[in-house]
Amino acid sequence: MKKLGRILYLALIVLFLYLPIGTLMALSFNSGKSMSAWQGFSVKWYQEMFHSQEIMEALGNTLTIALWASVIATVVGVLACIGLNAMSEKKRSFFMGVNNIPLLNADIVTGISIMMSFLLFGISLSYGTVLFAHITFCIPYVILSVMPKFKQLENITYEAAMDLGATPVYAFFKVVLPDIMPGIVSGFLLSFTMSVDDFVITHFTRGAGINTLSTLIYSQVKIGVRPTLYALSTLLFVTVLVVLLAVNILSSDAGKRRRKAGADGDYYVKQKRGITPKGAMALVVAMLLVVFGLNQYAGSMVGPQDQGKLYVYCFGDYIDPDLIDQFEEETGYEVVMDYFDTNEEMYPVIKNHTASYDVICASDYMIDRMRNEELLEPIDVRYIPNLENLQDNVKGFIEEFDPGMKYSVPHTWGTYGIIYNTTMIDEEIDSWAQLWDKKYDGQIIMPNSIREAYVVAGRLLGYSINTTDERELAEMTQKLIQQKPLVYSFANDNARDLMIGDAAALAVITSGDVLYAQEENENLEYVVPKEGTEVWTDCWAIPKRVENKEAALAWIDFMLRGDIARINFEYLTYAIPNKEIADLTAGEVLNPSDEILANCETLKNLGSAGDDLYSKYWKQYKGK
Amino acid sequence: MGQHPAEFLKMSMALIELFDLSKSYDGELVLDEFQLSIKENEFITLLGPSGCGKTTTLRIVGGFTTPDTGKVIFEGKDITDLAPNKRQINTVFQKYALFPHMNVAENIAFGLKISGKTQSYINDKIKYALKLVNLSGYEKRDPMSLSGGQQQRIAIARAIVNEPKMLLLDEPLGALDLKMRQDMQYELIRLKNELGITFLYVTHDQEEALTMSDKVVVMNQGYIQQMGTPEEIYNEPENAFVADFIGDSNILDGIMMEDRVVKICDHIFPCIDEGFGVKKPVDVVIRPEDIIIGKPGAGIMNGTVTSNVFIGVHYEMCIEAGGFEWLAQNTVSYPVGRQVSIDVLPENIQIMNKPQSEDEEAISLDD
Repeated sequence: MKKLGRILYLALIVLFLYLPIGTLMALSFNSGKSMSAWQGFSVKWYQEMFHSQEIMEALGNTLTIALWASVIATVVGVLACIGLNAMSEKKRSFFMGVNNIPLLNADIVTGISIMMSFLLFGISLSYGTVLFAHITFCIPYVILSVMPKFKQLENITYEAAMDLGATPVYAFFKVVLPDIMPGIVSGFLLSFTMSVDDFVITHFTRGAGINTLSTLIYSQVKIGVRPTLYALSTLLFVTVLVVLLAVNILSSDAGKRRRKAGADGDYYVKQKRGITPKGAMALVVAMLLVVFGLNQYAGSMVGPQDQGKLYVYCFGDYIDPDLIDQFEEETGYEVVMDYFDTNEEMYPVIKNHTASYDVICASDYMIDRMRNEELLEPIDVRYIPNLENLQDNVKGFIEEFDPGMKYSVPHTWGTYGIIYNTTMIDEEIDSWAQLWDKKYDGQIIMPNSIREAYVVAGRLLGYSINTTDERELAEMTQKLIQQKPLVYSFANDNARDLMIGDAAALAVITSGDVLYAQEENENLEYVVPKEGTEVWTDCWAIPKRVENKEAALAWIDFMLRGDIARINFEYLTYAIPNKEIADLTAGEVLNPSDEILANCETLKNLGSAGDDLYSKYWKQYKGK
Repeated sequence: MGQHPAEFLKMSMALIELFDLSKSYDGELVLDEFQLSIKENEFITLLGPSGCGKTTTLRIVGGFTTPDTGKVIFEGKDITDLAPNKRQINTVFQKYALFPHMNVAENIAFGLKISGKTQSYINDKIKYALKLVNLSGYEKRDPMSLSGGQQQRIAIARAIVNEPKMLLLDEPLGALDLKMRQDMQYELIRLKNELGITFLYVTHDQEEALTMSDKVVVMNQGYIQQMGTPEEIYNEPENAFVADFIGDSNILDGIMMEDRVVKICDHIFPCIDEGFGVKKPVDVVIRPEDIIIGKPGAGIMNGTVTSNVFIGVHYEMCIEAGGFEWLAQNTVSYPVGRQVSIDVLPENIQIMNKPQSEDEEAISLDD
């Protein structure tokens, strides 16, 4: 009984430790995309992974950064240890304390502070800044693993070597280095794994288009994890396992050799733990070969590069990935994509020039703000012949945030309205006021963001959605508070999924999500309330200090092409204001009538005073 | 050494001279204007308790520590600031300091390879050195697999193959057990005689110092307390410190009544010392083996045996007499509680001046 318990306990521990990895590995061989159902064995995700330039580049970056960072940090760290070792006890413990503080520091603090330092000195974020940051955070780990070896050494063999005629340098390499080698190797491997592992610091210090595996996976999580990432994670796990095994085999080989040497005598020969200098060198060289091999492979996959690179900074999943390849083929530019979640995440990057992008995607009010702050380059329409494809009905709205359409070209657009489930509602929905109807108690989903919430209340009460009149705001807030008891949930992106799942009867939603939702649930209908609403436009723009303006203009023109807009729309299902695809976007949802549009406004940048005012009332509302 | 007059002169000349060496660590003076001259082919031992400055002196000679002031003159040249690898001096370290990742032969060949000797020369030297330390055939062994004594002999072999002018030994036997320590003492004397190298030996073990040395330098608190042959140091300690440190002693307060008469514990003892003055307080040293134990009334004082321990050749006893606990050694055992008398021959009573103050308890030779 006791034995059974022990076995059970052990089995449970092993299960907890390895079940997640096992699941991941199994899924990487699943021919379907499903996270739960097994649809047959396949290696296609591995093939896809090796053919994905994005993944191979990120893998190459991860490994080269990890390798260089750990090699440089190891050299710097060992030199620092030599210095520390020569200090008096007091000084040494002071500097060891100084060394240990960064280890305890939160990654996010380290990341932000390194980023700020780069910006302070006007260093634009790039591959080099990531490498520098990694070296910085690896050094303390090297010192921490090498220093104890120095302490064991007690200087005595070093002095003995000097005594026998060795110069300090010769003594170090011949006598000290072999003794501290296990510490150096473990410091190196620790640095390597810390660097491969790091997300936070990389996230803050990476330049445009520089992705490591962790940042790539993070950006893909926002879009939706593809099984190629299971394949990648499996491969990483296996690689780390192989490295560990190699280290173990190398060190036990060293032990065997020594035992054999002492076998003729009757004295016990201690088995040496750790790795020989030659073994360590072999390990590093092998890693170098693998990394540069992979890099070569990734490099060979890169398309024509004659025209240089185009750095694009865009909302996640806003372009069909196939179009990127097509653009590269047609123009010869190499496209480097980076993704963000919100305008507010993108804004400081462009403002501080932490990374330089050639073309960005931004929403109307953000275009307004950036234009006013002179962060944008005027767009020369002579280079955008396809601009003639732009639908006329959006032009009026563009005037509101970008008069004369000097700085932006629309990519997608849409309205805010109500999506409702016809099986739960008998009457016709045509007004924001119906969201205040008590019979829908617990069946209403309201937006969980400030400006959108006030779009609803503002239009209902007949105020501008850009009002900064405190009396009006107070009234709108009162109105919203009144409605609060009826609300089922406050949701933004997942409102769509809640509606698909029949969780509520009514939700405030953007028109772009409607087609997708209707495909999944045929009972859903969308309406723009008669009181009017917000029209939003997401536009392409070119930041100031751009490096490849020509490519940026080519990109914008490419996106306006009829055939391209068609492919993109089929992927996105967001309305693209392009005359050439009018057949696809026909209908009130994606292309509201002029009558409806006449009653709509765009959100404007209100300045910090305006933002503060909205925040103040938003807190009142959410607090109640 | 040859017959040439120059060679003869060199023999009598000092090989190394230490002038006014001072050194302090963290404001604490460990060596104070230290002076020492060592002749070629001498076995000289620095003896003293830990912290007396003996190891610092050795490290200054080896080049591992630079003195704050003073000079090290080696064969007439100032080598005070010379790096250790440029000195014709080799060291045998307290903890052997063998290179753990090299085998015995590689350890011994280390210095020879640096000086660029041919492989055949190196091989011959390794063989010769291992034979010298009685470890022939150990070339391929891992030094960490050897016993402490064997490791120590490898360390010695490694030092002597370089044919240094001088060998520094820093408590080389400290980590060995008693039996091995005694064996190694004879081994070292044999080596010194065979090689004709000057040995500077550092120890806190008086027995080692007295057994092996031509000359012993007793040190305390950075000063030389006494310098002389082992016999001189043992038989004629110049102060209470030396007497106490070298062997077991009874150190008593006495009053020099007049020449050749000293009063100890209110009893008058005849002695052979003169010139201390009249009614002068002095320190009196009497070795335990010099105390003659007899029947009550037969000696100068009477007392009672309070303890008795057999320690090998003789018995060590404490005798309570005149308010002092006397340490006595005798081949005859007197049981505890027995009434006895004690007597000391005049020539076995050593009279020393009392130090003027606490500070002067460590008097340097110059004073």
